[in-house]
Amino acid sequence: MSIKHLLATLLLTLTTSALALPQVGQPAPDFSAVDSAGKRHQLSDYRGRSVVLEWTNHDCPYVRKHYGAGNMQAQQRDATASDVVWLSIISSAPGKQGHVSGTEADRLTRERTASPSAVLLDESGEVGRLYGAKTTPHMFVIDGDGVLRYMGGIDSIASADAADIARAEPYVRTALAQLQVGQPVQPAVTRPYGCSVKY
Amino acid sequence: MRRILALLSLLLGIAGTALAAPHTVQTEQATLSLVAEHPAYTPGRPLQVGLSFDLIPHWHVYWRNPGDSGEAPRVTWTLPAGWHAGPLQWPVPQRIAVGPFVNYGYERHTLLRSELLPPADFRSAATLKADVSWLVCREECIPQQARLELSLAAATGATTADPRFAAARTAAALPLPGNAVYRLGDTGMRLALSGTDWKPAPDTQIWFAADQWGPVAPSLPQRWTLRDERLELDLPFGDAPPAAGETLSGLLVVSEAGADGTLTRGFELQAQPASGPLAESRVGLAAALLLAFAGGLLLNLMPCVLPVLSIKVLGLVGQRGGHAGRHGVAYAAGVVATFLALAALLAALRAGGAMLGWGFQLQEPLIVVALLYLMLGLAMNLSGVFEMGGGLSGLGQSLTERRGVRGSFATGALAVVVASPCTAPFMGTALGFALTRPTAETLLVFAALAAGFALPMLLLSLFPAWLQRLPAPGPWMERLRRLLAFPLYATAAWLLWVLSQQVAAEALAATLAGAVLLAFGLWWFGQAWQRPLLRRLPVLALLAGSVVCAGYAADLHRRGAEAAPTTATSETWQPQRVAQLRAEGRAVLVNFTAAWCITCKVNERVALRASAVRDAMAANDIAYLTADWTRRDAEITKTLQAYGRSGVPLYLLYPPDGGEPQVLPQLLTAGIVLDAFANLNHPE
Repeated sequence: MSIKHLLATLLLTLTTSALALPQVGQPAPDFSAVDSAGKRHQLSDYRGRSVVLEWTNHDCPYVRKHYGAGNMQAQQRDATASDVVWLSIISSAPGKQGHVSGTEADRLTRERTASPSAVLLDESGEVGRLYGAKTTPHMFVIDGDGVLRYMGGIDSIASADAADIARAEPYVRTALAQLQVGQPVQPAVTRPYGCSVKY
Repeated sequence: MRRILALLSLLLGIAGTALAAPHTVQTEQATLSLVAEHPAYTPGRPLQVGLSFDLIPHWHVYWRNPGDSGEAPRVTWTLPAGWHAGPLQWPVPQRIAVGPFVNYGYERHTLLRSELLPPADFRSAATLKADVSWLVCREECIPQQARLELSLAAATGATTADPRFAAARTAAALPLPGNAVYRLGDTGMRLALSGTDWKPAPDTQIWFAADQWGPVAPSLPQRWTLRDERLELDLPFGDAPPAAGETLSGLLVVSEAGADGTLTRGFELQAQPASGPLAESRVGLAAALLLAFAGGLLLNLMPCVLPVLSIKVLGLVGQRGGHAGRHGVAYAAGVVATFLALAALLAALRAGGAMLGWGFQLQEPLIVVALLYLMLGLAMNLSGVFEMGGGLSGLGQSLTERRGVRGSFATGALAVVVASPCTAPFMGTALGFALTRPTAETLLVFAALAAGFALPMLLLSLFPAWLQRLPAPGPWMERLRRLLAFPLYATAAWLLWVLSQQVAAEALAATLAGAVLLAFGLWWFGQAWQRPLLRRLPVLALLAGSVVCAGYAADLHRRGAEAAPTTATSETWQPQRVAQLRAEGRAVLVNFTAAWCITCKVNERVALRASAVRDAMAANDIAYLTADWTRRDAEITKTLQAYGRSGVPLYLLYPPDGGEPQVLPQLLTAGIVLDAFANLNHPE
């Protein structure tokens, strides 16, 4: 039993050192993933532009809170209008809640009038684990130099109630605005809230 | 469809507020009730109310810090004018693994309590309203909400209490009985507790959950160690490590094997940052191995080992240029195998729950006696009273024979055995530390110790040229051998002193009688008798005689232990004493406990040693006996089994009238014990 324990510890040490989780102020881990149209996106291709990563799962009540109220779509529109790349990422494993095909993903985007730059399908969970994405939504903001500048919640009130959106501090909007004027991002790390990512 | 129904019922619950909200709401996953401990309130006196969740299997709701994902239940009270509501009191949560994540929460059933305070001048019926929102999850999550309502009249007389509240209070987290500090490291922090006097068994689960998201990663493993009697817990950082000077607050949860099933207790703590980095504490495996290796080298010089090894070296001198290397390797193999066997035995005993440290061999008088006789025998051999030939240990000369390789292996084993009385006081602490590590690491440390121990002899045998400096074999070797007998006599004398600390004078006398018999037997053996029968039979008889003496000594020890003196506050338990006290017509409370049982210690602290309980014991003339199971006393084990328990704690309260004892719960509060005392006088 204790030998198992030791092995588990060893394994964990190995995996955690191999997968050192991203830290604000450090280069964001590079990845590549295929979008709903089958096109491959590589993070490093977007050098020079800010990138937002949004972990999502359309059936999660916390995601529905922000899409139902139009909050997520509005942020996507405003961000992409100022040349920010917005990547929605679905890390749900096949058979798990939120897992969709490319066609379904496109239909969801149409129906919800969402406007991300792309919806990445990460059914292996590879990108999600690389970033330690825990919840839907879980947000990451990367600057033009490829440095991670923000990670955490979409806003400051952890609830599934859409009425809270107006009262909450919109952390991602704030981070993008601060990036645009060259200010340090504050707060840079917050609690991500929502459903667990269904790896 | 069912989900829609559930939603509908929720909506109805909300829409129906204009009328009267129910006190229970049911969704597909959860039944939530607003309950009060008493059906009526007393003005000016606090009243406990609670949100009682009943969940279908596999679904859970969350603790105040939900962990990697999720959301804690929230309540907004609407109370009559002047009423005040305290914060929710969270029961000790479970760790719930969801995929790669860990959540803190509750499955099946939980009661979130809150204390309400009605004003002293409030007399009319009171309607309490609670707007509750909660998230219920399996892997997927559903946010739910309800408005609940409960009406309470002002109390006119005594009311019956809902027993769930008392049970929740009993299981509630306690303040940590001690102090906590933490130190920051590179990837995590180390929480150190002091003043807790906990000595957890190796299989005890101990984990910490921070009150807030951020400082501690819920899903990464935490490991505890016991260092200098202090419990330390390594906590990997979460996404937001504590800033300099920040207090770390949270809940420490201890789960240990109890008398029937796992016992879990929570302790609220606030850890202050300790000055200084985490440097000293990182005595990693590498350092431990190095220390053990050095300790092993040093062990060669110990008085109990040096003579045996010197004789071995003399053997090498006698056969320069022979197959010395092979003997050296065999010897080293014997040393390593024996050390590892001892370590494995110890690890297995500890896994079985015995609270043993290195040096455990010297806690058992029978083993001390056996070592004493072994030392005496070896010393007499060196003194020339008898010769062993090449057989048992190859102590002397016949190393050139083929069987001598086996003999060298045996010498290695023997060296470890004779070294053990010296290792115990010398390296007890260091090896004790090694024993708190996982088994594989423990074995590695012992292997390093063995390597250090075997190295000098191995080198000498591999490079016999180093022995060239020694004079040629001759009579000096025999003289040296006689001289080297004395450190062994000294070791035997020391072991006798160790024994004298453990046993009564009669047992010591029996041991010495056995020693005389053994000496006589060995002398007889050393005589050049012509007839084999004459040679063997009396020796065997005498050796058997000394074994009987040793056994008698151990038996005396046991009886001596039973007659050990008692302390004023708590007597040592024995069945006869219970019978005697009951014959006197006294009530008896027996506390079956063990040094490594945290639940026992906590119960003693919060209940059995509480001043109200002690006063009640005195007032009711209740005798208090303690049965200490730290060393697995057989008599206690029997009693535990008689009550269907496989371990401690067990609390037996014998009534004064000679009736069957009452078994108190495993988690005690002062209230539970006082109620039990009260029932003695007014049996139901």
